[in-house]
Amino acid sequence: MVYLTRKIEFSAAHLYHNPALSAEENRRIFGKCNNPKGHGHNYTLEVTVAGEPDPVTGMVLDLKELKEILEREIVVRMDHRFLNYEVPELKGQIPTCENIAQVIWKLLEPKITQGRLHKVRLHESPDLFAECYRNGASQA
Amino acid sequence: MSGEVKTVLGRRYRFAALHRLHSEKLSEEQNWRIYGKCNNPYGHGHNYVVEISLSGTVDPATGMIVNLTDLDNYVEREVVEAFDHKSLNEDVDAFREIVPTTENVCREIYRRLKRFPLAKLERVRVEETSNNAFEYAGEEIQDRAAVQ
Repeated sequence: MVYLTRKIEFSAAHLYHNPALSAEENRRIFGKCNNPKGHGHNYTLEVTVAGEPDPVTGMVLDLKELKEILEREIVVRMDHRFLNYEVPELKGQIPTCENIAQVIWKLLEPKITQGRLHKVRLHESPDLFAECYRNGASQA
Repeated sequence: MSGEVKTVLGRRYRFAALHRLHSEKLSEEQNWRIYGKCNNPYGHGHNYVVEISLSGTVDPATGMIVNLTDLDNYVEREVVEAFDHKSLNEDVDAFREIVPTTENVCREIYRRLKRFPLAKLERVRVEETSNNAFEYAGEEIQDRAAVQ
């Protein structure tokens, strides 16, 4: 098995606010991320696909194709967007790294047809990230 | 593909510390041969980077596995304050008997953070320099034995 990783970047705005909680609770739990006007990050996404290299092409999947999938599914949806208001898949959720990574996993998994999606790692900053992978899959 | 999708949260912390690689169980000559310049009697230092991964349920109310303030406070207290601008050999009790190689530093950080009550520690990675990194995810065999 070979693991192939492609990295992309996108920039987006978000804010953390749960309408079911009081203003005070929101402020206490989410701190400055609760600023009502929002704030933004340069996100870095690493997508790892696992598979056996094709004996003819030597590729797990065509990187060009993966690049197009990531562009279409993630960049067009999220880049220079306000995640709370403009990404329907995040509607009703707090757009934390954990939740965005899960949305990205669900968007990408059915689209990766050569090899299989192994892991997504989403960095909100160099020091904060979330990863999604199949439980029991060996981590690469 | 079977198995549920697991989500982990990752966070990086930094500390700067001195260490000296020297084992009382070895002769001066053996120490020098094995550890080389890391055996310099006065010690030397690194800017360490600690990357931790934690798993747990993503709380629907907060979208979080664990509140970062709670996590940061815990790691700051248990690791950063304990190690930052310290001599690992002389200021940290755990390294009085064992050599503070970054393998052992990694395991000691894992031991300290495994007790974090709000999420499950999955893995600790310690970068001693940008070229040397060590990872520890617990002793799977021991864990399995504990379950049986």
